[in-house]
Amino acid sequence: MSASPDLLDPVDTLIRDHLRERAQATLKRRQFVSGLMTFLCWTAIAIAAVPLIMILFELFKKGLPYVTSWAFYTQLPQQPTLFDQSHLGGISNSLIGSLAIIGYSCLVAVPLGIGIGIYMAENDTKPAQIMRTVIATMVGAPSILMGLFAFGFIVEQLHVGFSILAGSFALGVMMLPVLASATELAVRNVPPTLREAGLALGAKPSTTSLKIVLPAAITGIVTGCILAISRAVGETAPVLLVIGGTVSAITYLPSQPGNALPYQIYQDVISNYDSQKNQSWGIALFLVIVIFILSLSARIWAARKQKVRR
Amino acid sequence: MADTSTKSVTASAEHYATTLPEGRNRPSGSVRGPYEWTLIALSVIFGLVSFWFVGTILFKSIPAFKQQGFYLLVGNAWNPTDGTTPSQYGALSMIIGTVETSLIAIVLAGVVGMGTSLAINFLLPARLRTFVATIVELLAAVPSVVYGIWGVLVLAPWVASTFGPWLTALPGGATIFGVSLAGKSLLLAGIVLAVMILPTFVAISREVIGAVPAELIEASLSLGATRWQTLWRTVIPTSRIGLFGATTLALGRAFGETIAVALVAGGVVQMNFHPLAQGTSLASFIAGQWGEAEGSDQVPALYALGVFLMLFSLAFSLIANRLVAKQRKAAAL
Repeated sequence: MSASPDLLDPVDTLIRDHLRERAQATLKRRQFVSGLMTFLCWTAIAIAAVPLIMILFELFKKGLPYVTSWAFYTQLPQQPTLFDQSHLGGISNSLIGSLAIIGYSCLVAVPLGIGIGIYMAENDTKPAQIMRTVIATMVGAPSILMGLFAFGFIVEQLHVGFSILAGSFALGVMMLPVLASATELAVRNVPPTLREAGLALGAKPSTTSLKIVLPAAITGIVTGCILAISRAVGETAPVLLVIGGTVSAITYLPSQPGNALPYQIYQDVISNYDSQKNQSWGIALFLVIVIFILSLSARIWAARKQKVRR
Repeated sequence: MADTSTKSVTASAEHYATTLPEGRNRPSGSVRGPYEWTLIALSVIFGLVSFWFVGTILFKSIPAFKQQGFYLLVGNAWNPTDGTTPSQYGALSMIIGTVETSLIAIVLAGVVGMGTSLAINFLLPARLRTFVATIVELLAAVPSVVYGIWGVLVLAPWVASTFGPWLTALPGGATIFGVSLAGKSLLLAGIVLAVMILPTFVAISREVIGAVPAELIEASLSLGATRWQTLWRTVIPTSRIGLFGATTLALGRAFGETIAVALVAGGVVQMNFHPLAQGTSLASFIAGQWGEAEGSDQVPALYALGVFLMLFSLAFSLIANRLVAKQRKAAAL
């Protein structure tokens, strides 16, 4: 308040001196506490790292022999017998099944999710707000509910039976809210000046959206898609309830029952044979590698795109 | 700002971590063309799907509610029969199991995760920071079944062969832990869940903590506060909304987790909730029972478990939204 220290009110000086004394008196204790908590933070990061490193280590150690063999990808799985545990076959049908399931679900969920996202970004009406709440709730909903929905609707009401279609439907419903909210955020993050410039030049609102705003938001949208896909690929619970799990043939038609990678992992883990349990590491490693590649490439692509724009 | 969506693990993290930018209203007086109608049609489809989603699960569970009544919520036995005697379906032990495993998980992951994100942001050298952050985000994308197989193939055998006997050999161990240590347990499920949600929690909380303005931190330090005082009194209170969001997201993942819990909790329906006893949870029990339930009166009962799970999830997200909104209002004042 006052200009120079010697003009300070005597009371202010008293308070200042008191505070300084207290700070000095508690300094040792405060420094000790701070040191202790810093140490605890280091401990926390160590505790967090240990199990995660253990998992990755185990995954690579046990999974690598499978992932590096060609037959693993080309053979059908086989049930081992008590006398010959080594006959396991491969993952050809679950690989094709997973591709089919993800493909079919993307076919519907991606356009639908992007459309909904754009709608929510461009409208602040009551319905859009309700949709936003519904989507926020659905993003957090347990994935097994999507499986129950797909079973009730596709398998029973529509009489399709256990099928790849039901699996894709479950995963599609799971991806939808993720896609929609990623798209909404990406579109809203486009600077409003861009849209205004388009409108000011006389373009129709729809043209402005499609030709100006969407291209500017495409990085966020594509990244959202890839994240949604990489989540869906590894999702076990909804698929477990509805796809039927064929082991004897490669199936990919929507109406056929099929197999999927996470489903095969689950089947292997709960088997009684050690060799089959061991194989689950191989499939898991393959899945993890695919997911890592997907999310890393999305990240790198987005970063590069960002740089070009600047 | 434009690349925030690439940084976050899920879009709902954004929902909690940032306020959405101002939306664009349709210029008034403009005509709706094919483009606008397409968007509206897609939204209507979405509305129908989400309506049908809730409707199907509710509808399918009706027979179970008719058959079991209130027992479904408060009963503790799960006895499917061939139809000659009435079957009993009670969800109490699954509900308690769900709450117990996810509480263990969120407490462990919350404490460790908080320390980890503080350490990543304030203790690690800046060059390592981006690297570690990328690793954490990649780990958050690892499917839950991987954590499940680690739990059941590595952790559970270790508990059964090494840790369990050691615990029982402790003085008084046999009485305190007087439960068969077969390896699988509710505690183990909680630990596996904690490891599973840790990357998700850290990915978001690290980002939220990193967004605290440097001036605030510098001001606190320049006043003579120690590092911990700055973290505890400035950084954490400033980022509390985002931290709360990270916690709810992680907790949501934990209580809805199916496969990891199905593999390591033991899948036993009993009224013993000792952490070292075997148990089950709502989601994992549905998956575990599905195969043998097909075609019987057990299917509606499993749908009823789904209804409970849905109510949990709904209440949870409503409370979270309410709290976040309240905090935002308080922060804005």
